[in-house]
Formats: sequence, structure tokens, C-alpha cells
Amino acid sequence: MGEISHRNTKPLQVNPFKLSQPMGATLAFLGVDRCMPLMHGAMGCTSFTKVYTTRHFCEPIAIQTTAVTDITAILDGGDTSIVESVKNITAKVSPSLIGLHSTGLTETKGDDLRAVAAQVDFPLVYVNTPDYEGGLESGWALAARALIEQLVEATEAIDDDKVVLLPHVSLTPIEVEKIKDFIAAFGYDVLALPDLSTSLDGHLGEKQAALSSGGIEVEQIRTLGDAGLVVSVGDSMRACAEALQKKNPFMRHRHFSHLSGLEETDALAAWLLAETGRECPPEAIVRWRRRLQDAMLDGHFSLGQTRILAVGEPDQLAGLCHSLHEAGAKVTVAISTIDSPQLEKIPAGRVLVGDLEDAENLGDAYDLIIGNGHCEALAHRLHKALVLRGFPNWEEVGNPLKQDVLYEGGAFFLCECANAAEKMRRHG
Amino acid sequence: MATKPKIRELLEESACSHNKTKKTSCNAPTPGATTGGCAFEGAQISLFPYADAAHLVHGPITCLAASWETRATKTSHTGRDFTQMGFTTDISNTDVVFGGEEKLLASIDYILKHYSPEAIFVYATCVTALIGDDIDAVCRQAAEKYGLPVVPVHAPGFVGSKNLGSRLGGEAALMHLIGTLEPETTTPFDINLIGEYNVTGDMWQYAHLLDELGIRILSTLSGDGRVRAIRSAHRARLNVIVCAKSLISLTRKMEEKYGIPHISLSFYGKRDTSAGLLAIAEALGDTDLIERTKRLIVREEAALEEKIAPYRALFRGKKAVLNTGGNKTWSIAAALQDLGIEVVATAVKKATEADREKAREVLGEKGVLMMNPGAEQARIIEERGAHLLLAGGRSLYTAIKKGIAFADVNQEKKKSYGGYNGLLNLAEDLKNALENPVFKNVAKRAPWEK
Repeated sequence: MGEISHRNTKPLQVNPFKLSQPMGATLAFLGVDRCMPLMHGAMGCTSFTKVYTTRHFCEPIAIQTTAVTDITAILDGGDTSIVESVKNITAKVSPSLIGLHSTGLTETKGDDLRAVAAQVDFPLVYVNTPDYEGGLESGWALAARALIEQLVEATEAIDDDKVVLLPHVSLTPIEVEKIKDFIAAFGYDVLALPDLSTSLDGHLGEKQAALSSGGIEVEQIRTLGDAGLVVSVGDSMRACAEALQKKNPFMRHRHFSHLSGLEETDALAAWLLAETGRECPPEAIVRWRRRLQDAMLDGHFSLGQTRILAVGEPDQLAGLCHSLHEAGAKVTVAISTIDSPQLEKIPAGRVLVGDLEDAENLGDAYDLIIGNGHCEALAHRLHKALVLRGFPNWEEVGNPLKQDVLYEGGAFFLCECANAAEKMRRHG
Repeated sequence: MATKPKIRELLEESACSHNKTKKTSCNAPTPGATTGGCAFEGAQISLFPYADAAHLVHGPITCLAASWETRATKTSHTGRDFTQMGFTTDISNTDVVFGGEEKLLASIDYILKHYSPEAIFVYATCVTALIGDDIDAVCRQAAEKYGLPVVPVHAPGFVGSKNLGSRLGGEAALMHLIGTLEPETTTPFDINLIGEYNVTGDMWQYAHLLDELGIRILSTLSGDGRVRAIRSAHRARLNVIVCAKSLISLTRKMEEKYGIPHISLSFYGKRDTSAGLLAIAEALGDTDLIERTKRLIVREEAALEEKIAPYRALFRGKKAVLNTGGNKTWSIAAALQDLGIEVVATAVKKATEADREKAREVLGEKGVLMMNPGAEQARIIEERGAHLLLAGGRSLYTAIKKGIAFADVNQEKKKSYGGYNGLLNLAEDLKNALENPVFKNVAKRAPWEK
């Protein structure tokens, strides 16, 4: 482990890749079936979020704004704009839920979301997500916790076959599906909250959706309390697991900092074997483990001489860096959007909270960049190899289908990184 | 002196035709039933293409982090392209409580030290406007300290729409930049291009023609713009508003203050490009220039016709439905007609009164002006037997359902459709769309579906 700086030391951000809490909350609500995320702020916050998500997922995105104006910014405590919004939304579509979240503007003026939500006679979950605190990852986690606290019914009954998966924001739709399938292969019924694997997985819908098309159903959320096990992935999701356990004291919890690479996937498999009393996982999993080991060997020569810059959300960084580290790659610099307990655990030469200007200034320290779409210009300028990961990325299509987790995704990921590095070495 | 422009005045722009019939030209948004951008976004759009100026957004992370690098406003600036960079004070909880002015000043210092731009635009946002940060004072202080323009832009998101924000951006340029520097030389044919942002390089499709005619683009607001140029914009002989209506306040004020007349035109399609070039020549009022322009138009149109001919054969009998907004409702329609495609309908929901009149003129009596395109377009495609839908990505499903070709004319547009050459880009994209089997293939039912 190298040097760790938990804070941005500059007065500003130059070329930021950090995103806001409201955007993270929007994504979380899009993982609920037939939900309408409602952002409480001026129009621009929603408009920007819509453009980013639309371009990243290549899908129409359902999202609404309370459209706070200069007048309502001063005179309205949120009551009028929110109640009016709900009225206008439900006049056109029938959501199963409205996911109300605040922005910097409405937090600054001090709107009491809880009080306003109480006036709304429609299924609604509210969450405070000022964008001058935290980032995408924490916004998603806060919204997920709000869904649990406000919807899940308390119970003492337990269904031993039922597992709740709490994925962090940077797990792609297909990664969430793969983790669900992995656990289900041991005989469990798995529900993910939020669940982008059925809503923003890039499936072709029947028509342009006015609401999120897929995701966990509201009724399923209400009855999550009887799950025997809750599995959280990513340190940002720990508080969500705790919130769920408050609904049922008999629910047991297993946490994973990430699910990338051999070691953590082994830990998941070992735990599932212990829980189920099985001797061996299903054959497909066994074969993918061998393929990952082979990919590690096949890629080790290239990866062993590659110095890597990884930028991303803390939970995502932790996974990527561990996976690369196991295969012998040197992550010389890891730059995180925000601070997190994960930073202490990341196997990298240097870990800092920062921006892409920092990445540029440290350009001598790496050969390959792993990060979101903003890294493309950087890689081009500095002539570095590039593997695009994270949100947003509109340079490429197929973002919901990229998988780096578990044995299977890990194998593909290492091959992709080794190939990108080799191509760079061959062609400059 | 506070430099906040008077919003009310901008909303009641006397040069807007519809202002006589409505109380305010830019309506307040409806909560829960709107999707447009905010004033901050509009101000960014109108000023960001200045590639030699740094754009510092004073606010929380959303405003800048979710908007930088999103617009391909190309530049010929040879230094570092600031249009593809993001600077933000990324204010925190502490700043909200104790104020963000100190951080703002430190950020300006940082930018000057590390990037030495020609100017800095400082954008207020919802939060920093609400907590009352005095960006005027900070900008004045920094401008004095460094001896270069540090321009406050008062367009926090909550004051209104994207359109209003563009006007506010224009106001900032007018108040702090225009008229602050004399040009090295002037010519009788100096013009300013206003409201052309050079998205996908649109401006470059016709700039060389102006150059050939001896018409000098003295400054632009703000496509491929330079700070020094806009500072000397007051010496132009003519303001040319390209497409957008949003900066009409600015040109009216420049007319009052500096006596510069203005014209408004579009460079989409063959007829509009030709008419635009001629309108500029005529407004400049030189008979020789007008003659030369007419000759250039004849030459360019002939060259274009030759290149269009193979497409024309392909497009014969083809009908299109167009669902877009603003001036594109008629300008792209006219471009399609130039290619020999019949435009059976165009959406006018997001168009001004003047744009609607123009759309009627372009489409003729038989053309449908859709007030509610979302609901109408599918029916019209069927009734009129349209082969092609040009719209934003959201309408893709309508095209798939009807099994017809689709072209995205909003977000995803990667190539320029401006000027004579842009029309060829459009033709090529439409040819590819019409020949692409994907629209029929993805609509196919699976073997297990009936």
C-alpha cells in the first residue's frame, strides 16, 4: 500500500469525473419497476442527468423535475412544486412509485421533504441528496436505504431460500444479473435492490417507456423483510444492509467490499457452500474459475509490466484494483471521486481523491488508463492505452453489457486490459 | 455597480413578434411536466465555444460535472481547447454555510496560474446565487489584479429556461466584453455571426465562402470564438443571427448602442444557404459584392447538384416526417426538400410563432404541422405512407413499430448538416438509414412469439 490522500487539496475541480448525489439517486430509482424519479430542483439538474443517462445507456430515460423557479425558490417550501409535480405526473402516467429526491438548490433553501411527502396521497419515497455532499455512489446508497426504510414492512418471519442482494452503483446491469445468477445457482431466490439488470440492461422494449421498464417491483420491496440473508456488495451499501436488518432482527448479513477477482469470488463461493452445506458449486462456476486462472496466467506477462491508472467511484475502484493486483498488474495511481473506507484497502501505489487534472499531472506514472468516457481525451493527449469503465461513457455502446465481476467477468476483464496494453506497446 | 441584467426586460423582448400577443415570451415551466434545460445550461451554450477563455462554474458538482464535454463545439484555436475542459469550484457543505467567495477567488487564481486563458467566465448557479455570493465583486477584484476580463455570468438555473440563459450569456458578453478593444483593422464587409455555436463544425461549412467573397467574420458569438475578437465586435457593419432567436436582444441592443443593423438567417439546405449568403451581401449593400455573391451561388449550386444527383434518384418518391424543435422545424424540412424528399409533416410544438409561420410556408398547404408530435406522428406515418422519420432518439420506437427508417437529428447528430457540403452529409446519412435493414430486422418477432 502506498500513500493515501483522503481529500482534494485544490480550491477547485479541473476536468471532474465525480458526479452528483441526485444523479445516483435517479439511477437507483430507475432500478424499481414502473418508477418515476422526481428530482426536486431547477430544471437543469434533471435535464443534465437525463442527457448523461440517455447517452450512457442508449435508452430513453424516465425522469421528472419539480422545475423550481426564482419565485418558488424563495416563496415555496417545496409543497407547491412537489404536490403539483405529482399531480401532473399521475395525470399522464401511472407509476408504481415516485422517487422524490432533492438537489443542492432545494437543500440550501431548506425544504422539508419528509413533511411534504406526508401531504402526497400517492406511493412515494423521498430522500435528501444535496449535491454539495458525497457523489454518485453515496446518492445511490441513500436512495436505496430510503426505499428500504420507507417501504419494507417489518416482520419476524424468515424465508431461508430468499436472498436480498444490495449492489453498489457501479455494478453494471449485466454484473447485477451475473451475481444474482451466481447466488441463485446455489438454490436461492435472489432479489436485487435496486435492480438495473432488468431495467437498464439494454433490452429492446415494446415501446418508448414513459416509466422505468423493469427493475424490482414495489410489492417485492415491501416484502423483502422475510429474506433469510442479505448480501451487500460495496462499502457504500453497508448502511442499507443495516437498515434492512432493522426490519427483521432474524435476517443475517454477509458483506463483500467488492466481487471482482479470484479471492473475493472464492470468498462468495465458500460462504455459499457453507450456507447450503454443498460440497461443490455447479459445474459452470467451477469451469469459469479455471478459465479465470488461465486468463490470469495468459495475461500475466503483459499485465506484469503494465502500470495502471484507475479512476472511478470508491467501490468500483476497489474491485478493479484488486482484480488487477492479483494478476500482477501494478496500479500505480488510483483516483477516487469521493472519500470512502475503501481507500485504505485499495492495493495501489498512490490513492487520492481528485480529478482528471491530477491524472494528467501524474501522466508519467502509468501506461494504461481505466476510467469513464472523460478519460478518452486524456488517453489521447498522453498517448496511453485505455479501457473504458464506469459512468458515463458515451464513446462506446454496450455499457450495460460490460462485466468485470466474479470468475467469468474477471477473465474477460483481464484479457481486455492485457490486450489494450499490448496493442499500445506494439503500435504506440 | 451590480451587473445583473434585468430578467423582466429580457423576457419582454420587443423584437420578438409573439410578444404582442402573450404576456411573457418565455413561460414558467410546469412542475412534473417539463424536460427542458435551465438558464445556466443556456448561458453555457452561448459562451462555452470561446475556446481561449476558461469557464469556471461556481456551484456544486452537478452543474459542471454533468455538462462538460457534452457538446462538440469545434474550434480552430491552436492552444489548449477550453471548450472541452471543465472547471468548477465544486462547493461543499462548508461553502454553503460560510459562503464560497474565498474559494471562488482562489479558483480564479489557480486557473490564471496554471492555464493563462484570455478571459475567465464565472457562472453563478442556483446554490451560489441563493447563498448570495457576490460574484460581481470577486470578478472585479480578479480582473483588476490580473488585467484581463473576468466576466460574471448571472444565469442560475432557477431564473428560467435554456433560451433565457442564452440571452443572459449574451448580456454578459455585451456588458463586459463587446466594445472593450479596438480591432487592428476594419473592412467595409466586417460582420459578426451571432448564435452560431459551430456544433459539429456547422460554421465551417460556409465560413470559407464568406471569406472568398471578401466578407470578414470580425467576431462570433460564439462558435469557434475568440475573446479578443468579441471585444472588438462593436466595429462590425452587420450582425448576422444564425438560426437561433435567443440572442435577438443582444443584436437589438448593439443596433441601439453601436448602430449595427442585423439580419436573421439559416444555413441549412441549398436554398437557405444561397438565400443567406445573398442576404448578407445585400445587407452590406455593395453592388459588386452582390454580383459576386450571385455568381458564387450559381457555381456552388451547380457543383452541389452534380453531387446530389445520385441521391436524388434514390430519394425520388420518398416521404419524411420530421419531429424536432425551434428553427429546425422548417430549416431541416427545407433541406430535405432540396434533396427531393417530400416532407409530409413537421412538429411545431417547440417552435416560436415565427417558426410556425415559416414551417407552413415551407411545407405548403398539404403539410401537417404537428402540435402534439408524440401522439400524432405514428398515425401520420401510416396515413401518408412515410418512409423516413427524423426525430430525437425517443421516437426511435415509433419508427421501429412502423418498420420505417429513422435518423436522429437531435442528440446523436455527429456530422454537420450545415451549408452546401452539410447537405451532402445529410443525404449520405439518410441514404444509409433508408438502406439499413436494421429497422425491419429488430421489429421481427421471435419464433416463439405470435
